[in-house]
Amino acid sequence: MMDKKLKLDIYKKIILSRRLEERIAELIKAGQVGGFMHPGVGQEALQVAAIATLRPDDYMMYAHRGVAYWVARGIPIERVLCDLSGREGGTNRGKGGVMHVVFPELGVLGESGTLGGCFPIAAGAGMSIKVKHEDKVVLCFFGDGTSNRGTFHESLNFCAVRKLPVIFLCENNGWAVSVPTEQSTSVKDIADRRHGYGVPGKTIDGNDVEQVYDAVSEAVAYARAGKGPSLIEGKTYRLWGHWIGDPDTYRSREEVEKHWRRDPLPIYENKLIEEKLLSEAAKAEIDKDARAQIDRAIAFMEKQPFMKPETALEDLYA
Amino acid sequence: MRTITYAQGIKEALEEEMRRDPTVVLYGEDVANFGGIFRITSGLQEEFGAERVFDTPISENAFVGAAVGAAITGLRPVVELQFADFLFTTADEIVLKAGMWRYVHGGAFKVPMVVRCPSGAAGVGPEHGQCPEAFFMHSPGLRIVSPATPADAKGLLKSAIRDDNPVLYFEHKLLYATKGEIPDDEDYLVPLGKAAIRREGDALTLVAISAMVPKAMKVAERLAQEGHNIEVIDPRSLNPFDRPAIIESVKKTGKIVVAEESYKTLGVGAEIGAMLMEEVLEYLDRPLRRVAMPDVPIPTAAALEKFVIPNEEKIYQACRELLS
Ligand SMILES: Cc1ncc(C[n+]2csc(CCOP(=O)(O)OP(=O)(O)O)c2C)c(N)n1
Repeated sequence: MMDKKLKLDIYKKIILSRRLEERIAELIKAGQVGGFMHPGVGQEALQVAAIATLRPDDYMMYAHRGVAYWVARGIPIERVLCDLSGREGGTNRGKGGVMHVVFPELGVLGESGTLGGCFPIAAGAGMSIKVKHEDKVVLCFFGDGTSNRGTFHESLNFCAVRKLPVIFLCENNGWAVSVPTEQSTSVKDIADRRHGYGVPGKTIDGNDVEQVYDAVSEAVAYARAGKGPSLIEGKTYRLWGHWIGDPDTYRSREEVEKHWRRDPLPIYENKLIEEKLLSEAAKAEIDKDARAQIDRAIAFMEKQPFMKPETALEDLYA
Repeated sequence: MRTITYAQGIKEALEEEMRRDPTVVLYGEDVANFGGIFRITSGLQEEFGAERVFDTPISENAFVGAAVGAAITGLRPVVELQFADFLFTTADEIVLKAGMWRYVHGGAFKVPMVVRCPSGAAGVGPEHGQCPEAFFMHSPGLRIVSPATPADAKGLLKSAIRDDNPVLYFEHKLLYATKGEIPDDEDYLVPLGKAAIRREGDALTLVAISAMVPKAMKVAERLAQEGHNIEVIDPRSLNPFDRPAIIESVKKTGKIVVAEESYKTLGVGAEIGAMLMEEVLEYLDRPLRRVAMPDVPIPTAAALEKFVIPNEEKIYQACRELLS
């Protein structure tokens, strides 16, 4: 169950993520930063609520969509901005850009730029937890399109037979770039694929913070108890284009409009207001605070020098 | 000195490193109960338990990629692929993940893992018989070794397991049964990146890789009887590659032949040739000769396989041509 503090903490992180992406989009469009950015607007509830179930020593493998994973995990946002802009002070020294933000101190193991590369790595992290007799878990995010990679099926089976503590969390946003899920994927509900591997899991409304928190908590507890992996699917929607700059010509405006009415941010906000956890004044305060944090982070970023070109030759071998 | 086989060298390395370091785990298809299809790992599960030595499903992508995940979270996995050719099945996991995970994340991780890759033509046809080292020399971030003797098989594997980088360890199937001496030293290690001069000479440099080494030694003996004292160099590690060893030898001999079981185009010999052009062209008094696989898949029928694999006679002829 979520207490008041947790509910508000999740809310603050959703706001910060949303505002940060809006600012990043402005910066990219104004040519102030380069960077290949896949926005996660509309998917923050799923991402933030799922990460809220973890302990700081757990591992996570995030997907390519949005900043909420990092905000939720507590990675300083100025460091993410430095990764985005290729400056000193980022997390990967100019090597991986915003696609490969990393933070081992908080179990953030990085990202596979080839979709589906995350699954075996998550399985391996699970293997090491088991060999070392730890009770950590691995939370592995991925898109509906990515669930068609062979690595997904191989890894789910591998984790199931070895009972590895990995939570496979699908963000089903209905699209893979311009291809709708029903044209690429043999099942309507991706969580149904769990039956092929004999693991538990369910399909939930990925825009509903509490449903996400409860389902992922259950899977985390199951994994921590040494019982093995789970497969959870949150139905959500990508409200913006595939990347910042995507002409987004492949979807009908009606469809996109319909989903804006399911935007998890106002839904959650209204819920907190109804539950009297949030007032209009507090809401304004949180928003102002998020914007101020972002201003500070951007000011920090702008003062940082660009990575030295010769850094390109470092960090290959240990 | 003791005499052991190449296969025994591999097994001893695994046993000793697993005893020394509890984070070393060993897994792959059929390695536990059966001891691996080449029977290298028999008995290891009894000693080290089912958590550290286990069979995997036929899921090369999952288990090779899992080695990367395990390595960055504190284990030292040793993965057995049944055949080196299956590296291509796991290209994403080997090239883009094992080779690059550290780099793309700005050095945030070490990736200490070993993939054991039984290589080489042995009557097993095009998809089970290649020596694909050269492909992976073209991939930044990987370490590559190709031991040719039992002592190196052991010493290089121990070093590979202790190395903090991903190592592709190519063990040639036709060498498993070969015997050789190994020093009594308890903790015998062979450093990565150091070539072995198998025979000293000044008439010609013969670089031989993996199963070509014993063939090259026979050629050297034959040439010695004919009055030509040639130098045989076994690089042992292809990444890091001991460039100075070859350059120094060529400065002395002025002639070089490279014998390898990779395809000729862009094989190891091609890289050596380019390196010599850049560094010591003025010392070369004859053109480089490469004895390698013609660019065809390895056929299965014995007569066809024999025709394409570099043999003593081909190596001998290449050397003779330069010595005349
Ligand atoms: C192996 C691989 N194939 C293709 C791509 C290019 N690509 C990047 S994102 C994407 C769509 C992914 O769809 P999905 O998994 O549903 O996630 P979403 O983008 O919708 O969040 C594609 C095809 C890639 N990065 N890796």
